[in-house]
Amino acid sequence: MAGSDLFVGTLDVLILKAVSWGPTHGYAIGRWIRQTTNDGLQVQEGALYPALHRLERKGLLEEEWGVSETGREAKYYKLTSAGRRQLRTEAARWKQYAEAVTLALAADGK
Amino acid sequence: MKRLFRLSLGERGVRRDVSSEIGFHIEMRTRELIEAGVAPDLARAQAIATFGDVDAIEAACRDEQRQRVRARAWRDELDSIVHDVRYALRTLARSPGFTATVLLTLALGIGANSAIFSMVNGVLLRRPAYANADRIVVVEHPSASLGVADLGFSAPEMDDYASQTRSIDAIAEYHSMSFDLLGNGDPRRVQTGVVSADFFKVLGVTPLLGRAFLPGEDQVGAAPVLVLSYRFWVNDLGADPSIVGKTFTMNDRQHVVVGVLPPLPNYPDQNDVFMPISSCPFRSAPHMKTARQMRMVSMVARVAPGATFAAVQREMSAIETRSHGIYPDAFKGVSDAAIKATPLRSAMSQSAQPAFLLLLAVAGLVLIVACANVTHLTLARHLRRQRELAIRAALGAGRGRLLRQLLTESVLLSVVGGALGLLLARAGVGALSNFAARFTSRADDIVLDWRVMLFTLGVAVLAGLVVGIVPAFADSSDLVAHLRDGSATAGGGKVRLRSALVVGEVALAFVVLVGAGLTLRNLSKLLNTNPGYDPQNAVTAQVDLNWTKYNDAPTRRQFANELMARLRSAAGVSVVAVASAFPASSSSPQNRYAFDVRGQLVADTLRRPKAEVNSVSPDYFKVIGTAMQNGRAFTEADRDSAGSVVIVSVSAARKYFAAGDAIGKQVSFDNGTHWLTVVGVASDVRQFGPAADVAEQAYLPYATGSVRDLRVLVRSNASPVFIGNLIRQTVRSLDPQQPVVGIRTLDQARRDAIASPRLTTILLGLFAVLALAIATAGLGGVMAYSVGQRTQEFGIRMALGAERASILRLVLGQGLRIVVVGLVIGGLASRVAAHVIERQLYGVRSSDPLTYAGVAVVFVVVAALACLVPARRATAVDPVSAFKAS
Repeated sequence: MAGSDLFVGTLDVLILKAVSWGPTHGYAIGRWIRQTTNDGLQVQEGALYPALHRLERKGLLEEEWGVSETGREAKYYKLTSAGRRQLRTEAARWKQYAEAVTLALAADGK
Repeated sequence: MKRLFRLSLGERGVRRDVSSEIGFHIEMRTRELIEAGVAPDLARAQAIATFGDVDAIEAACRDEQRQRVRARAWRDELDSIVHDVRYALRTLARSPGFTATVLLTLALGIGANSAIFSMVNGVLLRRPAYANADRIVVVEHPSASLGVADLGFSAPEMDDYASQTRSIDAIAEYHSMSFDLLGNGDPRRVQTGVVSADFFKVLGVTPLLGRAFLPGEDQVGAAPVLVLSYRFWVNDLGADPSIVGKTFTMNDRQHVVVGVLPPLPNYPDQNDVFMPISSCPFRSAPHMKTARQMRMVSMVARVAPGATFAAVQREMSAIETRSHGIYPDAFKGVSDAAIKATPLRSAMSQSAQPAFLLLLAVAGLVLIVACANVTHLTLARHLRRQRELAIRAALGAGRGRLLRQLLTESVLLSVVGGALGLLLARAGVGALSNFAARFTSRADDIVLDWRVMLFTLGVAVLAGLVVGIVPAFADSSDLVAHLRDGSATAGGGKVRLRSALVVGEVALAFVVLVGAGLTLRNLSKLLNTNPGYDPQNAVTAQVDLNWTKYNDAPTRRQFANELMARLRSAAGVSVVAVASAFPASSSSPQNRYAFDVRGQLVADTLRRPKAEVNSVSPDYFKVIGTAMQNGRAFTEADRDSAGSVVIVSVSAARKYFAAGDAIGKQVSFDNGTHWLTVVGVASDVRQFGPAADVAEQAYLPYATGSVRDLRVLVRSNASPVFIGNLIRQTVRSLDPQQPVVGIRTLDQARRDAIASPRLTTILLGLFAVLALAIATAGLGGVMAYSVGQRTQEFGIRMALGAERASILRLVLGQGLRIVVVGLVIGGLASRVAAHVIERQLYGVRSSDPLTYAGVAVVFVVVAALACLVPARRATAVDPVSAFKAS
């Protein structure tokens, strides 16, 4: 992914998480990722959008047009039921993976 | 967040959505940067910089979105098709009467077309089972003056064409004879194709078992070998897998089977076995090598790569012309012999083409009648469904959506109808194949293959679209009207359209009926032409004497005389004769010879008198029941030196002798070497079947000839089966190894000669009945609807004192008006269309008034019956309840 050294699929699961509380527009999703990760992931902001559209094509997200807090017409994304299922399995997998890697890295040399 | 209702589809929508989304992001980011203290003029640039390459990202997004829109469109499409089909199935199931009628009509209409198309496909379209089929040319040697389509070629002529024609790269010869085959059971008479060694290689045939002939096996002295046809191997030898290497005795020699052919067209004839020319006792006689006028073989050749059929025709014609100059003696009496090169595929199918295409056209007409009827049934149904359709339209179903739904219904019906039709066609293919065998050697190629399936599907879908589209458009015009007045009377236009459709049905059915009527009249004329002989109570049989056993004239005559004597003494037999031919034993001249009349020498050899010559025993004319017009018949005394006598037919006497007075005149068939005295003039006989013109004939005494292929004739009042068995037993008692074939009555021979017009008539008759039934059903339907609409009117009329009879007349009159208009249109169309079958008619003209009048009467009577049911219902209207209903 352009401008990012994320593990493949990481951005997708973060997006799914970001929209899991209700319809959210792209800018808010980006801001949430930036803030909750303390800018630690270094995602180039633009890279978010192709990922959003890809998830929408896969049927994990659906769109809804609405008016934003600034009074402008904006595209909101929300989870479909398939998206919610995907988030659950991806989150579990990620946790398992991270724990395994953490365990391995924490082990001493013997 | 406030929700917006928005439909975004299409390329422009996609572009706008993506730009707007990303524009929103940049705007929000800029705002955030300003709030964080960045100078407003720098904030936007910074926002864009942190975003990345805007154009590339927009492009990537649009790409994703476009794919999504397309996938959804497909899914929607599929969903709506499934939905339409489900809905169609539900609505059709709700009106089983309509569905069954339409399915039956379409199954018959489409099935007729599938069946006839399978014939056209098998005989005219499919490639024959020869690998080189498209490069094979059949070369004939016709002589117009003699009326012979192919004189055949002699061995020296074959050599000339083989060595001098550059546009061919291979040539093969063929002729067919019947021989006795001994071994492996009873003696059999087998039809034997006699061919040069590379005949099968030229055609491109790979044997199923063993091998074809090897080069050199057709040379004199080669060991005798046989190749079996597939049919003979299966039917007569039980498909014996180890047949190769076994031996049979033919012509007193042992022949080894070297191969079995795959299933092939029966072309040029239906042969049981094949042998190389060296095995044929006639073809291998020493003088055949040099005698130019001994023409006995047919020619097939393979066109060289890059050359054309036209080039073969041109080159061979030039060679022929040259030969006429070099060898004038070889063309005595046939100086008009020419070359006719025909591509194999047309040679195999040309006689079938007119009849098959005619049948296909008529089947097409029947389908149009069927479609018209289904259209008008559909219209009637839409009238009943008007409420439903109007409500669906009001609920927002677009015109296109409704049209699609209606088309789905009709195509569904026609495809199922087509599948049923295919089953019907399958049931008829066996009969059609037998029918086609009268016209072509390719009857076995008639099967329901993928092409027939594809044709059927295509026809079905087309029919479904046509019968769906017409009512759908008629609907859309008055849906609104219906909703507005909510009455049941909307759709007046539809009633007119339905009447017009029925008029069309009647007109087309009339055309089909006239076609069938003309062929029927033709057939009855053929059956009623005076044949010139009495076909009743006479049985014939074919006794082709084994040439090795009966190898000279005296032994053959002795056999025939003994056979006649034994038959004559049998109980129930009145008269017996032998001859070389009998009426309708063949359909074209077999022994047509030129002759001279003493004292009337004709200088132009092509204009010399000609006659079909038949050798007959004294009682021949008594057996066939033909009288002498003048002079006498032959007697036992007409033999040896006293046998230089001849009988001519009336037409020959009129044509070739001054004042028709032939008795006592002398004629010669051998350029004046022997002169024969005319002793009798016999009545004309239709020698080549009822459909052929009367031919000039000459009869020679059997006792002076040396006929090998005997035709035995017995006149008797006993049953033909009894006489047939008697002939068989008598021949067996004389020579147990002598086969007897072709036992049939003279009447059967006459009927066989017109089997193809008879079969064509039967098929056209079936189509005519079908078309009449459909058109009549259509008329009945329209009348029933109309009577239903006018119930109130009839009630008023009756309340005002109208008689039942006048109501009946009213309804019948309305129905007959439709029929009469249809008949007038159909009559005019028939006059044009009937020219197509003019060529297949012998006895009647295509404008035969009796046929037209007869068909019209049949139509009016049937139509009146069809109107009677609704008309009677009209008279049964109860005035009181008719008023209440309003």
